Amino acid sequence: MTMPRLSLYRPNRTNDYQFFDKTIKEMFTVGGLDIYIHKYLGPQTGDLGDQDATLPVYGSSNPLFIEDLLLLENRDRAYDPDVYIMRGVYRTQDVDFDLTQFGLFLNNDTLFISFHYNNMIDTFGRKLMVGDVIEVPNLKDYHPLDKSIPNALPRYYVIQDGNYSSEGFSQTWLPHVWRVKATPLVNAQEYQQIINQPFMPENIWDPGNFYPNGTVVNDGNTYYQANGNVPAGTPIDAVNPGTGQPYWTLIPNPTTVGDQMSTRPKDLEINDAILTQAYAEVPLSGYDTVKFYILPTTPEGQPAAAGYTADDTHPTVDGTETGEGITPKSFGYTMGYLTGGVDPGTGYLIPPNGLPVTPGVSFPQNAVAGDYALRLDYFPNRLFRYDGARWIKIEDNVRTDLDLATPALTQRASFVNNTYTVATTDLGNIPSRQSLSEILKPQADNGDAGGNLPPNPRPPGR
Amino acid sequence: MAQFFYDEQIRRFMLQFARIFSNFQVEYGRNEEGTEHTLIRVPVRYGDSSRQAQTIIQQNSANELPSTPLMTFYVSGLDYARERMQDPYFVSTIAVRQRTYDDATDSYETTQGNAFTIDRLMPVPYKLTMKLDIWTSNTNQKMQLLEQILVLFNPALEIQSTDNYLDWTSLSVCELESTQWSSRSIPVGTENPIDIATLTFTMPIWISSPAKVKKLGVVERIVAQIFDAQGDASNAILDNDLLLGTRQVFTPYGYQVLLIGNKLQA
Repeated sequence: MTMPRLSLYRPNRTNDYQFFDKTIKEMFTVGGLDIYIHKYLGPQTGDLGDQDATLPVYGSSNPLFIEDLLLLENRDRAYDPDVYIMRGVYRTQDVDFDLTQFGLFLNNDTLFISFHYNNMIDTFGRKLMVGDVIEVPNLKDYHPLDKSIPNALPRYYVIQDGNYSSEGFSQTWLPHVWRVKATPLVNAQEYQQIINQPFMPENIWDPGNFYPNGTVVNDGNTYYQANGNVPAGTPIDAVNPGTGQPYWTLIPNPTTVGDQMSTRPKDLEINDAILTQAYAEVPLSGYDTVKFYILPTTPEGQPAAAGYTADDTHPTVDGTETGEGITPKSFGYTMGYLTGGVDPGTGYLIPPNGLPVTPGVSFPQNAVAGDYALRLDYFPNRLFRYDGARWIKIEDNVRTDLDLATPALTQRASFVNNTYTVATTDLGNIPSRQSLSEILKPQADNGDAGGNLPPNPRPPGR
Repeated sequence: MAQFFYDEQIRRFMLQFARIFSNFQVEYGRNEEGTEHTLIRVPVRYGDSSRQAQTIIQQNSANELPSTPLMTFYVSGLDYARERMQDPYFVSTIAVRQRTYDDATDSYETTQGNAFTIDRLMPVPYKLTMKLDIWTSNTNQKMQLLEQILVLFNPALEIQSTDNYLDWTSLSVCELESTQWSSRSIPVGTENPIDIATLTFTMPIWISSPAKVKKLGVVERIVAQIFDAQGDASNAILDNDLLLGTRQVFTPYGYQVLLIGNKLQA
């Protein structure tokens, strides 16, 4: 008589497995905490404009799909609008803030969270995977520095890894626990569906049977704000008979998670401040000579004895002034790079000493010697001075905006910030700015940015 | 007495450096409506922030979400440029005449105002090295930004710290020295997915001591008119302090008074 061989190993899910599994699940229920899961569904659908074999267009969301088959990444991810709740366990730890250029990170702020495997499959429909976003409710921050933030800030993590947990194997050698590695979420393109979710104040419902004035409620996917005290059960489109106004006002652009708990708005604000100061210090390229005085000279080159006096309170260009010798023939302070004075209001070149000028697309009639004319039909605008017989070029308006303005005289503005269109006989107005790889290809838009655009022809001279 | 002097010269170059990289955008891919892509502006800010400032930006909360894409810049080197050294004792002198400034209208008149001689000591050449880190969450985003930025540097872009005509050190160039495609090792492990491309720029700058402003050092003023900007002939002739300094007044036959209109001027 022999005893059967002793072995706890079970290749299949026997009653032993079920017993262990239920016990372990109960452990999670008793000792774990709720973890909120934002389920990754796959790359976003739509955008049929991408005619690229490596950027396939999918008709549905599926986690099996990959958005970019060249770079092998899913940049635009779809997440389930429903939030799943599962019990999980993680080990709390003391961490330090690590200051990087990118911001303050919690040093080693990596959570290893364990979930009951079968509960995960039953609740979630699949294993947790890389890209799923989790919310750890016990780490909510109720006291951010900005007290105007209406809600507590949730703590988001994104799963970077998932596998069976070593401590989750039972005596039968079958696993019961799924362990994920999660790192803090960042406001990135991949998570825009979560970042763009509304982050509005919690509903306040007064036990006195009405919604107090200012209360925000969510009706479907739309947010409304109470215009006054609203009785409970009032339809969202109901009108207050007392005031004749609707009870609720639509909030067209509710505050989002990204608005309230991402550094992006602050980063942009900081960047704007830098730009404002940089623009104040160098509004235009080159050098400003508007503050300098140029002594007029006679035709012989001698300092002119006559000039404008303080009695000439309103000098004009109508021909009443005396002749040569009144106005300077040049700016004088031209040693340098892109010198001149530009009126910040009009963008016009200011003549030497700030003397009057006639801007226009032709020379003024009845001009007398010493008059200035600014020809706006020249690009860049050109300043002329009349010497009694000829209009002599003095200066071009070469100082230019350094930033994004389309009329700026930089190559960047001319080639990159080019918003002009070109009229065609068959496709209406096509964009002037086109990629070299796609330019004038025999396709519907004669390029890569569409045809039949609103007309915006290039000004003469550009 | 200690003579304090600080003109924010490096700070102004940093401001303009940040300006170069401001207002770039990246395209966020496919939206569910299949309509146009979303363009997102990429902020630029200083990389070496203090812990307190960064804590404030992040709401003193570990739950605040850092944001990508982002560009940060910082100074990685400031070295004396011996090869650009010129006569250290050289003083450049320039004479300028200002237009009269009207405080009431906050604008310049068309008449002559003060005149100055400006002495500028030879500035000290330095090579300023700055790094720009481009933080992106995916490769496509990085390529979008790099393609827009790299076409600007062939090999350099002009940069100006002020538009003051008299500041002969304000113009420099920002030259792209090197690029580092990624901060990650390939393949990526399970670490932070934020990737950093680093561009290194050098700028030949000059750090300048203060200029010396003096009254115009020419022999005499060129009299172009007898009235000043306020139409005051007396002040223009007798009391004008345009040239500053001590003046000796010579009058015909040593007369002490001048009759203008019906008024005697002492």
